[in-house]
Amino acid sequence: MNATKNNPAKQTLGEDEIALYDRQIRLWGLEAQTNIRSARVLLINVGAIGTEITKNIVLSGVGHFSILDNNHVVTEEDLGSQFFLTSADVGKPRIDTIKDKIVDLNPRVNFSIETDTFENLISKNNSNYDIVIGTELTKDQIIQLNWWTRSNNTPLYVAGSNGLFGYIFVDLIQFDSRDKKLQSIKQSALGSISPNKEIVSLEVTIDPEEPKKIYENLVTKNKYVPFEKLLCTATLEGKLTKRQLKRVSPILPLTLTYLKDTNMVSSNVSLFREELENTCEQLRIDPNLILKPEYVEQFIKQNGVEFSPVAAVLGGAVSQDVINILGKKQQPLNNFIIFDGVTLDMPIFEF
Amino acid sequence: MARESSLITIIGEDGYARIRQTKCLLVGAGGIGSELLKDLILMEFGEIHIVDLDTIDLSNLNRQFLFRQRDIKQPKSTTAVKAVQSFSNSKLVPYQGNIMDTTQFPLHWFKQFNIIFNALDNLAARRYVNKISQFLSLPLLESGTAGFDGYIQPIFPQKTECFDCTKKETPKTFPVCTIRSTPSQPIHCIVWAKNFLFNQLFTDEDNKSDDEENKEWGTTDETEIKRIKQETNELKSLQKIILDKDFDRIPYILQKLFIDDIAKLLLIENLWKNRVKPLLLDESIIKNNCHDAKEKISSNKVWDINYIIQNFVAATKKLSQRMEREGSHIEFDKDDEDTLMFVAMAANIRAYIFHIPMKSVFDIKQIAGNIIPAIATTNAIIAGLSAITSLRVLNLLDKFASLNDVTKLNMAFTAMASNMTTNRYLSNPQVAPPNCKCPVCVQVVRGVVQTSEKLNASTTLKDLISLLKTKYGYQENDDVSILDIKDQRLLFDFDFDDLNDQTLEDLKFINGTIILLSDDSDNDLIKKPVELYFNINNNVDKIVLPDLHIPVIEQKIPQDNNEENEVLTVAENGEIDQDVYIIDGDESVSTVDNNDKKRPREKEDLEEIIQIAKAPKTS
Repeated sequence: MNATKNNPAKQTLGEDEIALYDRQIRLWGLEAQTNIRSARVLLINVGAIGTEITKNIVLSGVGHFSILDNNHVVTEEDLGSQFFLTSADVGKPRIDTIKDKIVDLNPRVNFSIETDTFENLISKNNSNYDIVIGTELTKDQIIQLNWWTRSNNTPLYVAGSNGLFGYIFVDLIQFDSRDKKLQSIKQSALGSISPNKEIVSLEVTIDPEEPKKIYENLVTKNKYVPFEKLLCTATLEGKLTKRQLKRVSPILPLTLTYLKDTNMVSSNVSLFREELENTCEQLRIDPNLILKPEYVEQFIKQNGVEFSPVAAVLGGAVSQDVINILGKKQQPLNNFIIFDGVTLDMPIFEF
Repeated sequence: MARESSLITIIGEDGYARIRQTKCLLVGAGGIGSELLKDLILMEFGEIHIVDLDTIDLSNLNRQFLFRQRDIKQPKSTTAVKAVQSFSNSKLVPYQGNIMDTTQFPLHWFKQFNIIFNALDNLAARRYVNKISQFLSLPLLESGTAGFDGYIQPIFPQKTECFDCTKKETPKTFPVCTIRSTPSQPIHCIVWAKNFLFNQLFTDEDNKSDDEENKEWGTTDETEIKRIKQETNELKSLQKIILDKDFDRIPYILQKLFIDDIAKLLLIENLWKNRVKPLLLDESIIKNNCHDAKEKISSNKVWDINYIIQNFVAATKKLSQRMEREGSHIEFDKDDEDTLMFVAMAANIRAYIFHIPMKSVFDIKQIAGNIIPAIATTNAIIAGLSAITSLRVLNLLDKFASLNDVTKLNMAFTAMASNMTTNRYLSNPQVAPPNCKCPVCVQVVRGVVQTSEKLNASTTLKDLISLLKTKYGYQENDDVSILDIKDQRLLFDFDFDDLNDQTLEDLKFINGTIILLSDDSDNDLIKKPVELYFNINNNVDKIVLPDLHIPVIEQKIPQDNNEENEVLTVAENGEIDQDVYIIDGDESVSTVDNNDKKRPREKEDLEEIIQIAKAPKTS
């Protein structure tokens, strides 16, 4: 991917910006902050997770932030999980009621409303955005959006939640991450380190201040698969040990089944249960062992429910990864993450 | 559907009714606190009390999303409450104050809450709230972040590990000789400039070089120790130049610090057998740079020595001009431009002559000011986890995840972001039972004493000791000791009875005084120590000591050196220890090393953790 492809020459940060962003510049450096400031990010749907992502990315000092909210009208229910809203907003178009609050959060960020409809946007031949984030989308929307981001060579993040449970899907197409880490007893070597990751460059440097510290400067090539392919091919075969297969979170098959048809839970529960068995087979896990009945019940019951602290965790993780790839710091997520709000389990699967 | 319908789907109608009745205390309205306040409000907690001491600073605005530029210098607690009114359905009560202030927040004040959320940025307050939670058996959700790293830990007093069950790292210290004679890293030069030089020149503490009294010297070379002591005295004489605003003699300060003193240091040949000798600063560099700097160079760049000297002279002048106004005493403050500049320049000149890499003012500010990086995302994640976990702590998920056994609760830390693993975003081990060696939650019995101001004025320490001995089953001649915990002040032991005739009032017993009563006999079996909180309750007409069961325990013989071996043995037996990086978004806290953290894990986890131990974090 090519972050910040649409942008004019980067300008250096002013002293006032350095003072404002002091605590994060100390973490990721001036160069990363400059990259963040020249990026254009699009968010689709500003529900509970979208609100969290908006807050985090706008605070970080991104260059341009845009929201497409599909003419969503504020409901009473929205008030329970979206902090930009007040009861006076019920019945009004959501994006209109919150836009001033977003600007007030960080006036340095160029904020705009994407006026295209979702369908129009994805029928265009080009994209103005360096990164696209979609939340609370249907299966078909994710697939269509992913086709569009792939054809524009744009990184895509998708996140959604069902009550206490949630997921993140990431498609950076291909991404070379740069890493500097202290050399450990288990030294890094060139070559494949996991199904989707390969170390393509390795350089060893010594800390001039503390010669005992030896660093490895790594370039890791991350490969990704499109959403549609992931749904059909996701399996744990050969990826986990037998013992690990017995301890897979029930949220994994539940979420994948949900994503295969996002309407099914509400329209046909018995079909959903049947499909759940098929997903387990595809994943190569034992449904009798993994699918704890209380989890299945709760997942079905909590379908479509937004819950603020779960949105905070998922929105935080997505935002951090967006910032990381813009700043070229830390390893990116690759490529499917689920969250279980009961046990705080949050495994990452490479599919 | 109504606002609360989503929540009711998760916790049920009765759960919703219960959460509306729940009163929680949120300690801290900063990085994690802002986020938690939002989450707790959207979870419809009935009442939320928010305590914060601080006011809002520009550098908070990258993450504390309830605050704006226009709020700078306003109190965090009240500003946060105003900012959330638009979406709040909860009763909100802000307090600007220090949670450790027993006048504002006496023990009985804490009693009104069902649960405490810590969103703190320092160890002392964390420890204090942890202790309060132990006194009152209140569940506590502890949390912290530092940069990408964060953790949450639910604590059930007496049932799960408390905050102090694992050892916390204390700030790093350096031997005196490393700082004063043989620096080898930038940090040594910064500590010298900030803790030694700055204090000698700009504070009125008369030769209070505490680093020379009780500290580790790091050398046994008498000549060197003598030189260091003499140097301290001579430096005080430089302060006269500052106090007299004798600007013409500022070059002499440079001459003394970076030529004369270094020349004396070079005479101690032992020091330089295996080290590179420092340079003497070139006199012409001093002479040519005694004017103000003409240009302004970014604070992110490492400056050239000429520019550094110019800024050293300028900062010294500015501070010198301020001395009279400020009572001949200026404290170092990272946000006070003059003090930061002086320390940064002095540290860099010292680094220059000792062949150590110099640093930018930006970097020195971080080291000298103990600044910990802090970002919105980590705080949002950690606050979210803390809020979610409170549902289980309050047993609001009882329909499908009932809390029969509190040790089934999960703590969590940011495993991927902290470079511990690539296949989990979070690590979520179950909480451990209390550490049997924990001095805070296990090795002590706690209770509350009811007394009044009048009684304190009429009761002597001797009277109190006699009351305590009678109440808790000691014989009259048994050896006990009494320690005032807050000030770490010994009140009484077998060879210290000087205070016996003083009254509790004389001894400054106030609401919130905590004493520790220990069995000092040399028997093998002793009574467990008792920690007593003094509650001023003007309705009592005699001192009321709490009824406590005090078990007899084996006398411990301190064995400091066993710690390391023990951890290794334990690790081989299938238990682990791990580093959990801690603490908050703001300043003045060090990372914490959970050296003692041992909890049974399954084998593959253990392997993973061993990997972690071998692959230290990147910076």
